[in-house]
Amino acid sequence: MAEELLMPKLGATMEKGTIIGWLKNEGDQVETGEPILEIMTDKINMEVEATSSGILLKKLYDQEEEVPVLVPIAYIGHAGETYGSQPNKDIEKLLPETKNGQEQEASDEPKIPQTSLVHSKPRRTPAALRLANKHEVDLTMVKGSGPNNRIHLMDVEQFINQNAKKMTPLAKKIAEDNDVDTGNLQTASANAKIGKVDVLRELPTKRSRSVNYNGIRKVVGERMSKSASVAPHVTLHTEADMTKAIEVRNLLLEKIKSKTGLRLSFTEIIVKSTAYALKAHPMVNASLNGNQIDIHTDINIGLAVAVPNGLVVPVIRNADEKGLAALTEESKKLAKNARENKLNSDDMSGGTFTISNLGMYAVDSFTPIINQPESAILGVGRIKEQVVSNNGSIEVRPQMSLSLSFDHRVIDGAPAAHFLTDLKEILENPYELMV
Amino acid sequence: MKNYEVVVIGGGPGGYVAAEEAAKLCGSVALIENKYLGGTCLNSGCIPSKTLLRHSEVIELMEKAKNWGIEFGSVSISFEKMISRKTTVVENLRNGVASLLRNARVDVYNGTAIVESNHQINIELKYGSETITADKIIIATGSKPFVPSINGIENVGYHTSDSIFELASLPQSLVIVGGGIIGVEFACIFSALNVEVTIIEMADRLISAEDGEAADLISKKLAKDKVNILTSAKVQELSQNENGKMVRLETKNGEHISIQADELLLASGRTPNLSVISKLNLKKNGPFIAVNKQMETSIPHIYAVGDVIGGWQLAHVASAEGIVAAWNACNLFKEINYKVVPRCIYSSPEIASVGLTEKEAKEKGKSVRTEMFHFRASGKAMAMDESTGFIKLIADETYNEILGVTMVGPHVTEMISEASTLILLEGTVNELEAIIHPHPTLSEGIGEAARAWLHKKKVHAMS
Repeated sequence: MAEELLMPKLGATMEKGTIIGWLKNEGDQVETGEPILEIMTDKINMEVEATSSGILLKKLYDQEEEVPVLVPIAYIGHAGETYGSQPNKDIEKLLPETKNGQEQEASDEPKIPQTSLVHSKPRRTPAALRLANKHEVDLTMVKGSGPNNRIHLMDVEQFINQNAKKMTPLAKKIAEDNDVDTGNLQTASANAKIGKVDVLRELPTKRSRSVNYNGIRKVVGERMSKSASVAPHVTLHTEADMTKAIEVRNLLLEKIKSKTGLRLSFTEIIVKSTAYALKAHPMVNASLNGNQIDIHTDINIGLAVAVPNGLVVPVIRNADEKGLAALTEESKKLAKNARENKLNSDDMSGGTFTISNLGMYAVDSFTPIINQPESAILGVGRIKEQVVSNNGSIEVRPQMSLSLSFDHRVIDGAPAAHFLTDLKEILENPYELMV
Repeated sequence: MKNYEVVVIGGGPGGYVAAEEAAKLCGSVALIENKYLGGTCLNSGCIPSKTLLRHSEVIELMEKAKNWGIEFGSVSISFEKMISRKTTVVENLRNGVASLLRNARVDVYNGTAIVESNHQINIELKYGSETITADKIIIATGSKPFVPSINGIENVGYHTSDSIFELASLPQSLVIVGGGIIGVEFACIFSALNVEVTIIEMADRLISAEDGEAADLISKKLAKDKVNILTSAKVQELSQNENGKMVRLETKNGEHISIQADELLLASGRTPNLSVISKLNLKKNGPFIAVNKQMETSIPHIYAVGDVIGGWQLAHVASAEGIVAAWNACNLFKEINYKVVPRCIYSSPEIASVGLTEKEAKEKGKSVRTEMFHFRASGKAMAMDESTGFIKLIADETYNEILGVTMVGPHVTEMISEASTLILLEGTVNELEAIIHPHPTLSEGIGEAARAWLHKKKVHAMS
């Protein structure tokens, strides 16, 4: 008589399974281990394999039908062989308890059915299973190339070839987490395990370190991106001949030092000159405020100062009214407080125009981003000796680049150019400041 | 003139292991030792100190047993007998090293070597001298206690770890300068023998290279045993008077005080023995000989291992380096790997650690999380009445990689190798947790720490 194919019992609590679909038709030749149909339990879907080879003689249930465990669902045998009755629909009578006696006779040890077995049974062909068992390959690790990701013999062969070398648990974990193709991994010695270093070598991007995007870093970041997106930026570039500004600085250096104990730097000369130029160009000293443009009467110049992990802009108030000694004192104090994280919010508010001076670095020029809600910012590069032509003769001059970024919603090109031209002239003829 | 393929200078755990390995791997090997085989470790370090510690352990145990209902009559201590047992242990082991070298067919020269030129070595023997040549030379001359230049030191008799084992009788009081591993171990030995001990340490805590919580625990225990611990203290002057030694020092608070003691032990680090290579122009790494991962010095056929190259300055590290040097000297490539070096401090309770300390791990910027298991929660520790201490698991959250383990408590020096094994084989916290630990044991605490570590990770992931 033909062999019965039973609804498997896949777990202690499994009482019935639902047939999802048949993979074979009646009359098909099937091999032991070959999947015949797919079933579904309350937990998973899985394939039921032929328990013997032969012809699939009879399917006892159709798709979607629910069948108790250990009840025949099909018959496999030789062509023409007889088989048992039609499906027994009396489900209650056939609940699993009644079938346990036979199992317990076989051994003294009570058998506890495995409950987690089902998870480690991916779809695979019998040949694939045989090879996998022979080589102790965990099929959950193998990628199937067949329909519904079914694992074929070829897949297992390939897996074995690629994984001939064993891996340490840590290496395996790193490889899994990073989707590293373990087949290509090489280890230093031929028969050693693949270790952490072997996997790390394969990781596409080199290791990086993460820091949180928060605090001052985030504030700077958000303000920059807001300004860049809301204000149409235009940047004008020019260069100023700093010969005379250098003279002025050398002249005043000692005087200011004896008065304040501090060294006058170009920053203060630039602040003073800018403040002077702003007086003549109030539109550059303005803020867009909803439906109106506020034109400021005070000239409060912010100075961009680098601090660990970010950037702050303390403000020198009424810069146009202050002399170079006072500016030196104030700007040095603000910068020091900024670096020591001692600025209060008053120190950083009320600015009407900002200067960002990168002259101490090897930077010739750059395009600064406006410090909102102001409408312009001046970027200052280093003073660099350059060959310039002057009335047909060639001279070497200390040149400094000035880059003015302005908000085109508030200021147009010509007035901005006018301001920058004036500023250049003041820096080239700083004695004008005294006029 | 006799020629050897490999000549090893120094018969300590770096040298004799290198000599034995080289004899197995290539041909003729000689070893030159100017004092005793076994080096510092066997003769004036690990072995004698552990022998004496055993005595202290028993005394401590007897003290404890009184609370359990086991009473003894009065206990008498014979320091002389203790020292003689120590000498027997040391001699037995020394003979063991000698026979090991004999079996390996290593020629042992008992004399003081000096490397004359790149391949030529002169040996000053007891009677006369001999010159031999070598294809390869392994320098394993070790180190000696560092004697700091303190005012008045030349007028005071002092001990170092080299001489303290030769004490004829037990002093009543002892000042130890240096609160590192050596200082702390001697404090444990002598305080258990009822010697009044004072430790003077410059740093702000004892054993500053190891885990802070471990050091705190030891400090508390020593203080409980009436050891006077002075940290952030500077010794300023030493003098001798009719009552013994006088140590003048400046304390943490800037006060100047004097401490009187019968004996003085200097335990403030070790300095390399370099006279053997004084005629060579070897590159240095600070005061030590510079080497690469193959233990090669700046002269390619000359190797150096052990304390003379600095680093961990541990016997088992010297042996590991000795093996690497022997392989390379015999033209077989091998590199040293310092990733898994266990460190043991035989204080009471013991400290053992492997891998990174918590501080090192965090400085490396890894996503580190630690988990502590306290022995007060261990049934075995309670049964033993030894529930002081903890196991600290230091692991990386990304892949559950075990970065290090620090343990304080009974028998932890024997337990640390489980962690070493896991780290070497690149097991993760998951494997550590999966190991079935026997119950009731102290070692099951390692599994508990792993389980708690993983549990918190899951809780974290869910929230």
